[in-house]
Amino acid sequence: MFIDVLIVGIMVGAIYTLVTIGYSMVYGMLKLMNFAHGDVYIFGTLLCYTLLAQAHLPPLLGILIAALAGGILASMVEFFAYRRLRAAQHRMISMITALGAAYVIQNASELRWGSQVLPFPSLFPSQLVTVLGHQISVTPIITLAIAVFFIVAFNLFLNHHKMGKAILCVSQDIPTSSLMGIPINRIISMVYFLGGMMGVVGGILYSASYNAISLGMGFRGTIVAFTAAVIGGIGSMSGTLIGGMILGISENIISVYVSSSYRDSIMFLVLIVILLIKPTGIMGKVEQDKL
Amino acid sequence: MLRIKKNRLLLYAGLLACVIVLPFIVRDPYFIGMVNFIIIYSILCLGLNLILGYTGLLSLGHAAFYGIGAYATAILMTKHGFSFLPSLIVSGLLALFFGFLLGLPTRKVRGDYFCLLTIAFGEIFRLVTQAWINFTGGAMGIVGIPIPEVLGWKIQTEIDFYFLGLGLLGFTYGTLHLLTESKFGRAFVAIREDELAASVMGINTPMYKILTFSIGSLYAGIAGSYLAVYQTTVTPSNFRLEESCLMIIMVIVGGMGNLAATFVGVSVMAVAIEFFRPVPEYRLLIIGLIMILVLLFRPQGLLGAAAFKD
Amino acid sequence: MALLETDRVWKKFGGVTAVQDIALSIEKGEILGMIGPNGSGKTSFINLLSGIYRPDKGKITFIEEDITGLPAHLITKKGIARTFQNLRVFPNISVLDNLLIGRHCKVNNSLANIYLNPFLSRKREKEAEDRVIELLDWVHLADRRKELAKNLPYGEQRLLEICRALASEPQLVLLDEPCAGMNPVEMDTLAAFLKNLRDRGTTLFIIEHNMRFIMSIAERIVVLDAGTKFREGSPVQIQNDKEVQRIYLGEEEEA
Repeated sequence: MFIDVLIVGIMVGAIYTLVTIGYSMVYGMLKLMNFAHGDVYIFGTLLCYTLLAQAHLPPLLGILIAALAGGILASMVEFFAYRRLRAAQHRMISMITALGAAYVIQNASELRWGSQVLPFPSLFPSQLVTVLGHQISVTPIITLAIAVFFIVAFNLFLNHHKMGKAILCVSQDIPTSSLMGIPINRIISMVYFLGGMMGVVGGILYSASYNAISLGMGFRGTIVAFTAAVIGGIGSMSGTLIGGMILGISENIISVYVSSSYRDSIMFLVLIVILLIKPTGIMGKVEQDKL
Repeated sequence: MLRIKKNRLLLYAGLLACVIVLPFIVRDPYFIGMVNFIIIYSILCLGLNLILGYTGLLSLGHAAFYGIGAYATAILMTKHGFSFLPSLIVSGLLALFFGFLLGLPTRKVRGDYFCLLTIAFGEIFRLVTQAWINFTGGAMGIVGIPIPEVLGWKIQTEIDFYFLGLGLLGFTYGTLHLLTESKFGRAFVAIREDELAASVMGINTPMYKILTFSIGSLYAGIAGSYLAVYQTTVTPSNFRLEESCLMIIMVIVGGMGNLAATFVGVSVMAVAIEFFRPVPEYRLLIIGLIMILVLLFRPQGLLGAAAFKD
Repeated sequence: MALLETDRVWKKFGGVTAVQDIALSIEKGEILGMIGPNGSGKTSFINLLSGIYRPDKGKITFIEEDITGLPAHLITKKGIARTFQNLRVFPNISVLDNLLIGRHCKVNNSLANIYLNPFLSRKREKEAEDRVIELLDWVHLADRRKELAKNLPYGEQRLLEICRALASEPQLVLLDEPCAGMNPVEMDTLAAFLKNLRDRGTTLFIIEHNMRFIMSIAERIVVLDAGTKFREGSPVQIQNDKEVQRIYLGEEEEA
């Protein structure tokens, strides 16, 4: 039924937004395409799977540990692989390094979890609820609510908390922020950490909804992040939200009503079209470089 | 002056002699097979070095052109009865055409975003070859590609393929060498180093970027054609993003912006891959680690241009 | 004869008008200087002339040909070359190659040439190299032609950038703050060099902050303020102009 598809689409959109925030912030701040983003948060999600399905930890604890682990991994990747290259003359060097990092994490994850699809446990009881005469599943609504909660919380953090505001400053102008006494390296680590954490939360919500987690979702996760970021516009929260929503909703609709096997191709086609027409995305400003 | 030229000529003649005699001295087909692997990847990476090393454009879709060439030859030879040479030419030209198409957006789409475009291009190619079963055979690919024949010479053994590959490699290196030593090569490098300044030097930067893509992809198409007849099968799994990344790392390890260094990079990585063959489950990890370490500590690779030193 | 003329050109960036209604002409064979406080639009103006920016309004003519809106590489082909305020030599390339790149549009080697007629193309390359080494000889850099540009001392890199601009045999050279960072001795050498250049027939348009330098070599001076042409006159006139001194108040003058 269409209303189901729409709700699930919005849920997926919110999850995509969560997952894209970290990627978009890093790119907006450092102009680095963190190709390892998806693999990092899928690592966290896989870890959560182990903690919940095999170690039988209480869900909240498992999620917390996994999210922290994802955040730590993300900031470690920055520290070891990216930091030194921040001043590199040719920016493509960092991009290639990011690819390398992605492969390392992907392979490490594969060694531990293999490449098959694993049954991720549901987090919420499946119940049906009657709204306006239709029967809707409750799970996507709860998932959506949680995702939205995190998005709103993060937004509030950015705009009202001291560290959040520092992050915003660094996003706009690193040298000036540094002169203002903001510890740049620490802020950057924090951005990666928070981005990684939220990515894991998003990944967990997604896997819990579809009861599936697999290694392949890492690469796909990175593609989702940069497609959503490109659609909505890099570096702006509203852009990330718009991009995530558009991607999630349209993907779901096409997947249900057209064909699910072409789902990935559609995503790439959308990416190509946007890149060709307006690479700065819907909310992005058209950059006229004043030289 | 003339003496130096004479010495150089002797060196090249000597190298050529060694290269021709090699398969008759070392008769191990396994070894020749590895050399053939190096030859294919050298052709691929020479083209990629032009795009990435000389012009500074990060293309993660190079494997797609490899695939276009391979599928073109495979389809022409199995379904339309073409012989090898015409297929080779079509493969090259088709890859050149698609390279041209991919080069067109470079005018409007900035560096980083362009990289995404190349990834998307590569992925769409792979997805299309998997889905379009009637044309490409889907995930099973195309099998039974016939034995190539060039002017009566049937190319069947590893040694036969060695000489075919050598011919193609010679063509690739020769033409690229002439190109990079000319004003075109200088223009590519200028674009890499400072695109704005390059345009002010009178270099039509959008056109040169399209040119570099077209030419670089041509050679990938040629390599693909060779792969098709060498492997006698062609499947989508030959042309994944991973392949593009492997080529990138080969170019980097050898040295970006230095054609001759490409051989070194390819050989080093080929040996490394052989070395880790018994542990295939660590393959990506090792490739990834090499990528990171090389870029952190020696971005100019073994012999690359000074521009990439820290 | 006016070599280059701008007819009421405008350039805006978002809300900021960088260049406002400037009508200017550069006479053949002269050295025209442009001064103005920081942010007055001098670099934006030179970017307009060299094709890096397209004017929002107005016209630019060069040797009576309309070049408005042409891309940078075509403008260079027409005979206008430039240097940059923040020195944009190619640092990791040799001195010789820097100049050869500068000579790009004059090296007549098409792809067809390179592949079908390698001897001809080699000959043309050699010609280009010879011409460029002549230039290097002139500034005493010929023996260092194989060195990477970044290894040259700063003053010589500036000289290199000018030579690179000259490599395409332009009729007009636009120089954006050519003596930034130079000591007085280097400045005098540069002034002599530029005068020599002018005597050989090249027209020069120079943006400079350094008053002593610009007053000593420019024949005419244009003063820019807040994107508009504020004054025009001989060095003596400009130097004594009270209004010009006023707009520079707060700025260090070396008169």
